[in-house]
Amino acid sequence: MATQTAYFPGCSLKTVDRAYDVSTRIIARDLGLNLVEVQDYACCGAGELKGEGLKSHFLPGRNLGHLLEQGQSEVMVSCNVCYHELSRTAYAWSQDPKTAQAINGMLESVGEPPVNRRPSVRNTLEYLVSVVGLESIGQKVKRPLSGLKVAPYYGCLYHRPGQMVSSIQIAGEDTEHPHFMHDLLSVLGATVVSHPAETTCCGGKNLLSDERLAGKLTGRILSQAKESGADVLSLMCPKCAGGLDALQFRAIQEAGEAARLPVMYYTQLIGIALGHSAEEVYVGDMESRALELIRRMIPSDQGTLIEK
Amino acid sequence: MAKGAGIVERSLVSDDQIMEFDNLVMDGIDISGRWNTMLKSRVHGERDWQAWDEVRQNLVGTSIDNCIQCGLCTAGCTVGHEVPEFNPRQFIYWVKIGRTEELKKNADVVWRCVGCYNCTHHCPKGVNTAEVIEVIGQWLRKTVPNRMDPAYHANHRSYRHRLQTGGRLSLPVLQAEFLRELGRQRELMGPEFKKVAIKMLRDGRAIKTLMIGRPRHWSKNRKVLSEMEG
Repeated sequence: MATQTAYFPGCSLKTVDRAYDVSTRIIARDLGLNLVEVQDYACCGAGELKGEGLKSHFLPGRNLGHLLEQGQSEVMVSCNVCYHELSRTAYAWSQDPKTAQAINGMLESVGEPPVNRRPSVRNTLEYLVSVVGLESIGQKVKRPLSGLKVAPYYGCLYHRPGQMVSSIQIAGEDTEHPHFMHDLLSVLGATVVSHPAETTCCGGKNLLSDERLAGKLTGRILSQAKESGADVLSLMCPKCAGGLDALQFRAIQEAGEAARLPVMYYTQLIGIALGHSAEEVYVGDMESRALELIRRMIPSDQGTLIEK
Repeated sequence: MAKGAGIVERSLVSDDQIMEFDNLVMDGIDISGRWNTMLKSRVHGERDWQAWDEVRQNLVGTSIDNCIQCGLCTAGCTVGHEVPEFNPRQFIYWVKIGRTEELKKNADVVWRCVGCYNCTHHCPKGVNTAEVIEVIGQWLRKTVPNRMDPAYHANHRSYRHRLQTGGRLSLPVLQAEFLRELGRQRELMGPEFKKVAIKMLRDGRAIKTLMIGRPRHWSKNRKVLSEMEG
């Protein structure tokens, strides 16, 4: 029987990062999840409004209100920024009745549905590991990623700050050294390459305004992953993808050729392992040379991955 | 030699606090040479509580009361590793003792926080450091906007403008607006951006971006967001 859960893609996944959205949906279908999209979504605030106090909860609160109005109480989120923003507001709402009242006051003043209970905000990675389960994902692998050396990269907002009691903590994730993506990639048959930059920040918040700093930070992540022997960096946040993939040329400007590395969403890697083609999970959308890598690894659509 | 080169943690001391002498005789004793560098005493008279008031009235700001100045936030800071002047422990100290002049001098440093929450995550006293630093940055933007990088203002304005008008973020439009604000729109025609633009036009993502749409009843909703400015 299919498990039903609400799903919040967010602005990036709806547009330039469709690869993350489509691959999430494809693997969800394969794994027996029935995703119900949150209707009439707004931006989550993208971390830009967090200095605005109460107002910073308006956009996430609006999304949570719509979720509840749709009769859902649990939402799966792929984007780390959206996951953080929605968790942050759900946490603030539950911490203090006065804050909860003020958030609802704002929502009701413009005719939006209120948040009348604390919804459960889940991260897709955590949902796959703790609800679907590594074992049943392993059983569905048709094309093991053997020989592919993958460096997991979590970014920041998946596991920080640890004070929010977010879903990953409830699921038993380590907020100091996260390992769910490591576990998942090993089940897919990939060689997981640990590296020192798994949770260092990519500078995404100031990607536009502080481009040299962002270039230095992304350059460090990419070069450390590559130095550790990775063929590909596996990520889970569209904001990180902005710096690590789309604007990888800036990382190369700062850190040199050592920072040139294919980058993919972990959901795309799952999709490939579950037997889908590179086209189905839009590997070609990545700016880095991910498609070349996958083509080299999978000689034909039906074939298994072979070692280089 | 650079001014104050012998000072340990030189980045924590600003130039105008350092006095250097070629030849110095004090009370008849020649103390030239190694002892020729001095720091001005840090006695401060006027305290100014504007920044404190601003932080304390913010929803997360009250957590600043818990700060014990241990410096864990700064030890693990992403930006601090790259920008030595970026020192969240010191920013909080200045707020707490009313030294807003020092904050204003560093207005072009404070905004460079990347929001990675390493500080908040590791704070042993439960200060939401990342958000407190953001609030200090917002206060500086209102108080001494001219001391901050135009790129910061362009980023701030274009994000908010997109959020208020569209309710959803279209990243290519945001980037174009950011560069236009800075008069750098020609960069969009550079080889890297052009390559991405052509690719997105071909693979259909450009259309998806233009069709992102707006949430229902957005004109009402945006009122809440527009009240933020001011």
